This record gives sequence, structure tokens and C-alpha cells, in this order.
Amino acid sequence: MNPLTLSLVLTTMISGTLIVMTSSHWFMTWVGFEMNMLAIIPLLTKEHNPRSTEAATKYFLTQATASMLLMMAAITNLLYTGHWSIMKLINPTASTMMTMALTMKLGLSPFHFWVPEVTQGIPLMSGLILLTWQKLAPLSVLYMIMPLINTNLLLTMSLMSIAIGGWGGLNQTQLRKIMAYSSIAHMGWMMAILTYNPTMTLLNLYLYIPMTITTFMLLMLSSATTTTSLSHMWNKLPLITMLILITMLSLGGLPPLTGFLPKWAIIQEMTKNNNILLPTLMTLLALLNLYFYTRITYTTSLTMFPTMNNMKIKWQFKNLKQTMQLPLMITISTLILPLAPIMMILE
Amino acid sequence: MMIYVVSILSIIFMIGFVGFSSKPSPIYGGVGLIVSGGVGCGIIVSFGGSFLGLMVFLIYLGGMLVVFGYTTAMATEQYPEAWVSNMVVLGSFVIGLIMEFMLVTYVLVGEKLEVVLGFNEIGDWAVYDVSDFGVFTKESMGVAALYSYGNWLVVVTGWSLLIGVVIILEITRGS
Repeated sequence: MNPLTLSLVLTTMISGTLIVMTSSHWFMTWVGFEMNMLAIIPLLTKEHNPRSTEAATKYFLTQATASMLLMMAAITNLLYTGHWSIMKLINPTASTMMTMALTMKLGLSPFHFWVPEVTQGIPLMSGLILLTWQKLAPLSVLYMIMPLINTNLLLTMSLMSIAIGGWGGLNQTQLRKIMAYSSIAHMGWMMAILTYNPTMTLLNLYLYIPMTITTFMLLMLSSATTTTSLSHMWNKLPLITMLILITMLSLGGLPPLTGFLPKWAIIQEMTKNNNILLPTLMTLLALLNLYFYTRITYTTSLTMFPTMNNMKIKWQFKNLKQTMQLPLMITISTLILPLAPIMMILE
Repeated sequence: MMIYVVSILSIIFMIGFVGFSSKPSPIYGGVGLIVSGGVGCGIIVSFGGSFLGLMVFLIYLGGMLVVFGYTTAMATEQYPEAWVSNMVVLGSFVIGLIMEFMLVTYVLVGEKLEVVLGFNEIGDWAVYDVSDFGVFTKESMGVAALYSYGNWLVVVTGWSLLIGVVIILEITRGS
């Protein structure tokens, strides 16, 4: 893309999220969301093919609908309370509508249908921005209105999201759709603990974002978008296959890797609130997620997938792609678990 | 009679919305937008904001909608779909009108309507005070406040408009 356009677009995207995070008036929150949405559309259509246009259209329609619902919720609150302040979303109608608008922006079930289709139609870098940066703004608003959210609604949506994130990703071979379903499931985990201890929501977010960035960086190294192309990686970049193994297992939530920490914290907080059945169900459904991550590691690093013979003898090119940030991201994504005592007593 | 002017204008506003929501060709949708825009301007003027109403007419109808009309006229098809040309469009328009008529009758006849929000018969739409506001009206004070206290909002709005144009050009540029 033209460098000037790209810098304008990225500036607007970042300022949109910052405006959402720092505003105290519902109107400015809406303005920030609209700026964010409008600015990311050219990033989604960076490759000009019909699939990207379809993905950008679906993204635009769902996010615009969610913004309209947000405005409606703010105006309903204005009707009943007379002010635009963010912290006082007292009316239950307004609170429910606002929760649904924000979960629509995040891609939680039952509003999850756009996430796999949009993530599949866009290049890997745009998919990375979509699944990480775009989650910050709605989560910051949800964190701010946390005391007034209907817990039953949020827990229903999060349990459905974990289930759909698990079962939806089972039949996928396209890596971008797998990451989309992974995002749906992780958002479900984040929303489950929001009304109990929102610090754990932020902990989950702060660990989910590096893990997703690491995964996308590893995929971008060999431009792999399908499981099949990942299975050729043993010949091109054999070290990356091992890194994909530990990153995927960390995403799945296995101890002793980082991904276990948010799940552990969330289950601990929920049992402190005498809630035993729900974390059990959530953990069992997270096993579905672990299955398709393990399947990726199986095809990538644990076995040599059956291929034709000409795939087994490749030109060994020098890797010219930037891998400067990769060691740091790998370390964060897999080795942070010993820091658990610091992270779990945060307030 | 002047008490009910806002409710009558709101009904025409909704008829205009139904007119373009039943999805005729964009030119006819523009006609619905003109009706709704003009009547919305009337609603704003009825609440005392004469400057803002004229602003709607000038900028929205006289600027943006004119540009929209010209671009639609350039990109139109040979037989554009009007409200009476297609049974689907006509049906959705008629059903929208019937639903609005039923809603208005229910609000006027019944005491209270509690669907998502609560409407108290005609009370929310009536314009009661036609008194003299003094030298400075609320709406001109609001516009002045936009440029003094709300300078950050002007910056953000201006930036959003610029980015809107840049993004539209970038998306429609093609390869």
C-alpha cells in the first residue's frame, strides 16, 4: 500500500482505540469505534480480490450494526438517567443492549459467525491485527461497565463461545479459520470471569495477544495458510516446526506453558465464587480446542506428512524474512508460567 | 395544532425511512432521503434550533445528497427499480406503512406502550413551550461551545472526515 495511506490508516486505527479507551462520554466512545472500524477496512482489502471485498463487507456490516446498538444503548441510558457518563449505565435495558453490542464487536457467540469468514478472506498480517488489536477497544469498555453487566447473559454467551470455538475449529484445515475459532474460544474464557474478577480478564487478554502474535508470526514466516503447507515446513524451516509445537500447546492451555496461566486463574476465581459446574464445563470444552492445536503440531512437527517425492527435495533458500521479534514473543508465549504468583495477586 | 407538529413530522420522517428501506433503486432511495432530511430539519426547527435545522438543509441536503444524486445518476442502470415496479419492494413498503400506522394508533389510543422503551402516549413528542428564549438560544450556544470547550471534538471530527475520504479513495482504487 502507499506508505502515506498506510501511515494515515494505522494512525487512525490506533487513535480510534485510544479514544475509546480514554473517553468518559458515550458519544466519544462511539466516535472511537467508528474511526477504528473505518480505518481497518483498507487493511482488509489490501489484496484486491473478491474474497477480500466480501470479508471487508461482512466485517463492516457487523461492526456498524454493533456500533448502532451501542449508540441505541447510550441513548436509552440518556433517556432514563439523563447523562452520558460511561460509569453509570444503570438501566438494565441499556446495559443488556450495550453488552450485546460489545460482544458483537468481539465476536462472541451468538454473534460469532463473521469471525471465521472475515479472518479467512484477508491476508495474514491483517488477520493478526483483526484478532489482536481490534479486541482491545470493546474489552476496555466492557471492563469499565463491568459492575452493571447482567452476569447470566455474559456467562451464557461465554459458555456458548467456548463450545462453538471448540467444535467449530474441529473440522478446519485452513489455519486462519482455526485461529478465528481460537479467538472465539479465548474471548469466551475472558468474558466468563469479567463480572467476578475483571483483572483476570485482562490477564487472559495480555497473554492471549502475545500467543496469537507469535502464532501469526510463525505462519507468516513461511506464508502458510493451510495445514498442508505447514506440513511441508520440516524441509524449509525445521526449527520453526518445534516452535509451532510449543506455541500451539501453549494456546491450548497445557501446563507448564504460559497458556495454562489464564485458564488456571479463571478457574480459581470462579471456584472462589462457589461456581463449580461452569468451570468444569469450560475446561472440558477447552479440550476440543486442544485437540485441533495438537492436530496441527502432529502434521507439522511430530510426523512427516505423506507428500509426493518432489516435495521432499526442495531448494534450500536462505530465509530473508524478518525474525527479529520472534525469540522474545516465543519466550513470552511459552515460559511465563513461573511468574504466576505475581500475576494472580494483581488487583 | 402546533402542539402536534413534531409528532406529524416524525410520522412523515418514518414514512420516508420506510420508503428507502424497502430497497428501490438508489435514485428513488435518494428521494426518500430528501423527504426524511427535510422533515428532520423541520423537527429540529420545531424544538427551537433554527440554525442547526438550516445547517441540515444546507450541508446534508444541499451538499452531500446532491453529490450522492450525481454519482448515482452516473452509475445507474437502464431500468431502475421504483416502488411500484417490483412486487417485493411494493409489498415491503406497504407492510412498513401498515406497521407504522398500527404503532401510531396504538400509542395514541392506549395509555402506555412498553416494547423496549416506554412511550407515554403523545407526551414525548409534544412541543409545549413556544416562549421567547432571550438573546442567546440554546442551540447557538451549543455551536459556540463546540469551538471553545469542544475543540478536541472538532479535531477528531475533522480527522475522521479526512480519513473517510482517504479510505474511500483507497478502497475504490483497485489494484
